[in-house]
Amino acid sequence: MAVDLDTKDQPPPEEQALQAWERDLEHIGIMGRLMAGRKWHGADWWFVAIAIVMVAGFIFVALFPGLIAPFNPREQVGPRLLAPGETPDQDVLILRVGEPAASLVDFAGDERIPTGVVRGAPASEAVRDQADRITEELNGGGDERRVRLRVARFETLDEVLDALVVGDVALAAASSLEFEAVADRYPDLFVAGPVDSDQGGGQSFLMGTNQLGQDVFSRVIWGTRIALIIGFSASLFSLALGVPLGLLAGFAGGKLDRVLTMIMDSLYAFPGLILAIAIAAVLGPSIFNIIMAIAVLYIPTYYRIVRGQTLSTKEGLFVEAARSLGAKVRVILTRYIFPNVVPSVAIIFSVNIADAILTGAGLSFLGLGLPPTTPDWGIDISRGAPLMNQAWWIITFPGIAVMLLVLAFTLLGEGLMEIFNPKLRDR
Amino acid sequence: MSNDTLYAIKDLSVEYATRQGNVRAVDAVDLDIRRGEILGLVGESGCGKSTLGKALMRMPPGKVVSGELLFDGTDLTKISDKQLRQIRGARIGMVFQDPMTSLNPIQKIVDHLTETIRTHQPKRSEADARLRAEEIVDRLGIRAERIDEYPHQFSGGMRQRIMISLALALRGDLVIADEPTTALDVIVEAQFLDLLRDLKNELGVTIVLITHNIGVVAEIADRVAVMYAGKLVELASVHDLFDSTKHPYSKGLLRSVPNIDLDGTDLYKMSGAPPNLLALPSGCSFHPRCPEVMDICSKVEPPFAPVEADGNHATACWLYQEQSVSVELRS
Repeated sequence: MAVDLDTKDQPPPEEQALQAWERDLEHIGIMGRLMAGRKWHGADWWFVAIAIVMVAGFIFVALFPGLIAPFNPREQVGPRLLAPGETPDQDVLILRVGEPAASLVDFAGDERIPTGVVRGAPASEAVRDQADRITEELNGGGDERRVRLRVARFETLDEVLDALVVGDVALAAASSLEFEAVADRYPDLFVAGPVDSDQGGGQSFLMGTNQLGQDVFSRVIWGTRIALIIGFSASLFSLALGVPLGLLAGFAGGKLDRVLTMIMDSLYAFPGLILAIAIAAVLGPSIFNIIMAIAVLYIPTYYRIVRGQTLSTKEGLFVEAARSLGAKVRVILTRYIFPNVVPSVAIIFSVNIADAILTGAGLSFLGLGLPPTTPDWGIDISRGAPLMNQAWWIITFPGIAVMLLVLAFTLLGEGLMEIFNPKLRDR
Repeated sequence: MSNDTLYAIKDLSVEYATRQGNVRAVDAVDLDIRRGEILGLVGESGCGKSTLGKALMRMPPGKVVSGELLFDGTDLTKISDKQLRQIRGARIGMVFQDPMTSLNPIQKIVDHLTETIRTHQPKRSEADARLRAEEIVDRLGIRAERIDEYPHQFSGGMRQRIMISLALALRGDLVIADEPTTALDVIVEAQFLDLLRDLKNELGVTIVLITHNIGVVAEIADRVAVMYAGKLVELASVHDLFDSTKHPYSKGLLRSVPNIDLDGTDLYKMSGAPPNLLALPSGCSFHPRCPEVMDICSKVEPPFAPVEADGNHATACWLYQEQSVSVELRS
């Protein structure tokens, strides 16, 4: 071989003007680029890292909501409109320490049980109703015993409790919050449990409850699943239609391109949510129809980007070179043009998911979305809106969830765009 | 067709469709490419030399409107696209001007090569194709272990060698090199030209070297074809072209080459500009710029005819045609 090989590894002159680290960048993979991103983006790669953690978190929550959510999101699990972290005010049974009985059932027998209540307090009604109910249940089960109370009415809670301490009454029924306030002074007394034992242990809820007594936190957790399903599937549908159409139109050109572009541009020009409302209204409420309505909306986004990229890529010399080497059209499309278009598709996809989730929430908010029992952020926000003045927590937490999820996907998409689009490098 | 002719181009015309009308970029070109030669195709920008090069493989965007392309006895204008694809890459390869963009940036070198090989020989196994790929890049001076790298990891000269290896991966007969050294610096250019010459000598590859650089042609070409405004104006062996230039355009082209012996002011600048292909001058297209223009030049187009008995030196200029011919054509 006559050719001198010594110079073959030298970079061409224009590359020597680059910084050393810039030249190094050319020789590292995707992970390396991410790690080195700091050098050319300032803090941007942190955005991507944070976004990846957030997205991974949301996906985990959506996959295993049962592990995190404490309650069934569709059932009433507590009192209505309970503020976050607040203990519900319950009618509770108060007993003396050392009393063998623990609930009303234990007082079943022939005797009338002296019971102390505050005159006019809801607890007095509750305790008598509950006694009757227990009696009915016992009798229904073939048990002849009865729970009979002799209700003694006092003017204040202190009088009731004093009477209980000295033994004038065997038990007392009162509001849990009122008793808590004075409990310090009555070390001999304790709360045995709620009068109505079906009501649960009077627990507090992390994000409160809504007007149906459902746990807001559980609904937010389960809502992640719906949001991600809608976001992912709608974006996937748009991608599956928009990308091939864009490739085809960009590559084939001519009349096909003009007709497709006209259709896509008219779709694109139409206000998005209104179009989605129209489609969803025609199709009727179901998760599949919502996904379809949103998917149609975003097809032009993929189409336009992919078409543009295809137009510029197909002019590339390497496509011509492939032709000159006898490559078939299908091979040129799938191996030369498509892979060069993929990075921008991936970026739109992640920004698109965020958009689709917002639109899905918007449709649900307008009542065009899913059945109302579905744990969905849009539905929760829609139903909580009229109660905003009394119960801020019903709309705030789903709202934050929407914001965080959209933020995560947007950060991811924009961050990836910065890293993979060399044209934006120097900005 | 004589046996030493690999590719006979007969009366070839190529047009581009533009908004202003059809532009005839190659106009009635007759040219024989001989087996195993390096044919230089020179001319200024826009003279149709690249279009002619691409037309040899019937590549877009130009459209062949008339003429025959007899490659080894097969007329490429008459075969189907499928048959054409079987010839492209397998028997005729092409090397482009810009080595930086002529390789797919997201494909490894080895994939470029094996894909080409397996496109034409689908029965060949991946491993076998890889062996061939290693063999050919090694032949062209690239270490075989580097074929698993991506195009951006190579320098311009190496990428151009990879392009050649693609064109020769299936032991093609003809390589059309469209300004292959324009983007390379002079040292790499010299190495590349050496490589072309070696390929010709050792493998018997025929090379059509399209360039605007007369120096490159003088360096390695056997014969030279000069084009002007879509037409062939002179065809000669490289020796004849430099020693007894005939056509005034070729003379101007040779004098326009910078030379170390010249003073700063001596460099010849051809007057005028290349003609608009949509509105060519009447008669000889070159006559508005020609220093030796005659009456007949603006009226009748000169025929492309041999100027010497052996027929190896031909030109299209009235200066060398029998006056009787001109009178005949005039009447």
